[in-house]
Amino acid sequence: MPLNRRNFIRQSGLALTFTVAGRTLLLTPREAYSRDVPFTILNQAEVDTLEAICEHLVPGARENGVAHFVDRQLSLDPNDSLLFIKCFNVEPPYQGFYQSALTAISRTSKAVYGESITRLDQDSAVSLIESLRDGNVSGWNGPPPPLVYHALRNDAVDVVYGTMEGFADLGIPYLAHIEPPRAW
Amino acid sequence: MRDSDKVDVVIVGSGAAGSVYAAIFAEAGKRVLVLEKGPDRKLTDLYSSQIWARRLKSGAPHVFEEGRDSIWYNFNAGHGYGGAALHHYGVWPRYHPEDLRERTLYGRGLDWPLEYDQLRPWYDQVQEDVGMSGDAEKEIWRPPGAPYPLPPLPVFEHGEILARGFAALDLRTSPIPVAILSRDYKGRPACIYDSWCDAGCPTGALANPLVEYLPRAVAAGAVMRSDSYVTRVLTDRNGVKASGVEYYDKTGERHEAVADAVVIAAFTVENCRILLNSATAKHDRGLGNSSGMLGRYLMSHPAVNIFGLFKEETRCYLGVTGGQLLSQDGFAKEKSKDIFGSRQWEIGLGTKPNDLLGIAMSRADLFGHDLHDFVERGSRHLGAMVGVCECLPHEANRIELADRKDRYGMRLARVTFNLDDYARNLWQETADLGVKIFKAAGAAEAWHSPPGGQHIMGGTIMGKNSNTSVTNEHAQLHDVPNVIIGGPSVFPTSSSVNSTFTAHALALRSARHIAEHWSGLMT
Repeated sequence: MPLNRRNFIRQSGLALTFTVAGRTLLLTPREAYSRDVPFTILNQAEVDTLEAICEHLVPGARENGVAHFVDRQLSLDPNDSLLFIKCFNVEPPYQGFYQSALTAISRTSKAVYGESITRLDQDSAVSLIESLRDGNVSGWNGPPPPLVYHALRNDAVDVVYGTMEGFADLGIPYLAHIEPPRAW
Repeated sequence: MRDSDKVDVVIVGSGAAGSVYAAIFAEAGKRVLVLEKGPDRKLTDLYSSQIWARRLKSGAPHVFEEGRDSIWYNFNAGHGYGGAALHHYGVWPRYHPEDLRERTLYGRGLDWPLEYDQLRPWYDQVQEDVGMSGDAEKEIWRPPGAPYPLPPLPVFEHGEILARGFAALDLRTSPIPVAILSRDYKGRPACIYDSWCDAGCPTGALANPLVEYLPRAVAAGAVMRSDSYVTRVLTDRNGVKASGVEYYDKTGERHEAVADAVVIAAFTVENCRILLNSATAKHDRGLGNSSGMLGRYLMSHPAVNIFGLFKEETRCYLGVTGGQLLSQDGFAKEKSKDIFGSRQWEIGLGTKPNDLLGIAMSRADLFGHDLHDFVERGSRHLGAMVGVCECLPHEANRIELADRKDRYGMRLARVTFNLDDYARNLWQETADLGVKIFKAAGAAEAWHSPPGGQHIMGGTIMGKNSNTSVTNEHAQLHDVPNVIIGGPSVFPTSSSVNSTFTAHALALRSARHIAEHWSGLMT
């Protein structure tokens, strides 16, 4: 039955279910980040790498909870996944792709720039990302670098710009049919 | 309904074609069971978010893609009630008469087993059923047909700005023909132009299967069963008739749905995979594959997105996703000795900051603060349109079975797709022309995307000759006539127009015919 705007205002946005101390909570990835919700799929080194590279790709990605977003999605059936990588027809499950990509980024950072990705200066980070984008990373052992670049960049874009709060920061109206319960 | 209950028709898939078959057969008094591999979906599940919209797209079973070009399977396919049509944009031009006679007229491609005049009344009926908006007179390229039941959608700044570029180059534009309501229609509300079409339209303004044919099917008694993963078509001992399908429910339990007729409408790749996996001693190369053509003639529209930044505010986040204006100037197929195929433009695409066709992805090379500056500017000043090109059908472009298997032991699909030089040249010409149009419209900067793939067609093509095609003009398998194929997999040529309207029209034509000649056709 067709619906009008008034009678289907309900939750959406990017609130996801996270388990905290045995309780299931509906949180945005940003809230999950600020509450330091434990990760279920990624280990701490992978989280650190993901947050660091995504912050260089899209400023604000870390505090907008990109690692919690990705971690949560990796626990789902691929048909339910909200990850951009789904559009690229990568074979599921996606956990292997992310873990392999993050390991390769971490190794490349140390091998080429002599420093952990979490401590790279801006110029080195830009150089690393350009080499991923252009597919010319020396000694790379992971998924195709441009695919990694696009996957992580779009995850960061999603959490920074693709939400109601992201639209508001850009100064454009979100115009939701189905509105979220709270601001992102 | 119990598993042991025999039905008249079991329909695999609940998208554009499956929903039409379900409605027409149920309204004709047939007992109909619809099996959908994905979940039940309701309008209230359709969150306004590009991120959440990805739930509507397929993630599994995986399709292995080979060849130089991608068909963008996951992006194009759907998952759940409504199938791919739940996230489609509702741009519904008609195929042109010459699209159906390419071999005869140009010596290239294939002929359909029917001509435009045979399809025309079904286009007219579908547009009346769902409520299409457009301006038939201004759409000067439109083949003959009844006027649209609703006036065109409004044109916003975005469309007006881009139209300047077309006018400057003496190219014509018209309101875009869409299955989106410009006025309230049959109890459904008019569009509010907030451009969330590909996240699924929860108001019912866009004619996805949840608002028209599936409700009709259910009202007429059809039974819908979600999370039902069909693995193969079952046949009788002689291999002459299909007797139903095998499927697995969400718990992994195996079932058989027994039926007098089977409709496979699970989208192009899955249609072929199910039939290929239905091989028996009597049909050793797959069901309906005595010709060896099952899976052949895979097609996808090579598409190029044109982007530009304008001094004026475009408000590109408004309107509808599929565009505000259409141009089919340049539809003529014989362009030069190196370029063959039709082309159309969808102008003024509703564009949000994220996702594959979003603002950020339009400059995929940028990151960091450069990206942020661009997204900020693009949110207000971006212009976007897409040029959709034709690709010719080639036997070598195909859907086959891979060695890898799904969790039920059925082989997964592998596709091989390579555009020919005609299509590549057409795509490049279209990309160059698009940038020129944007500059003529006053864009300070204009650029184009890499090649993309829109719509997936072929694989079970219809034809008059059972040695060179898989289905007849009513989409029945030549080899097993009580198996009917739904969707664009039956198209013998691709044209350059969006496929969903034609998938509806063909399904309606076949469903009516088969329902009226039931006993004769099923024996």
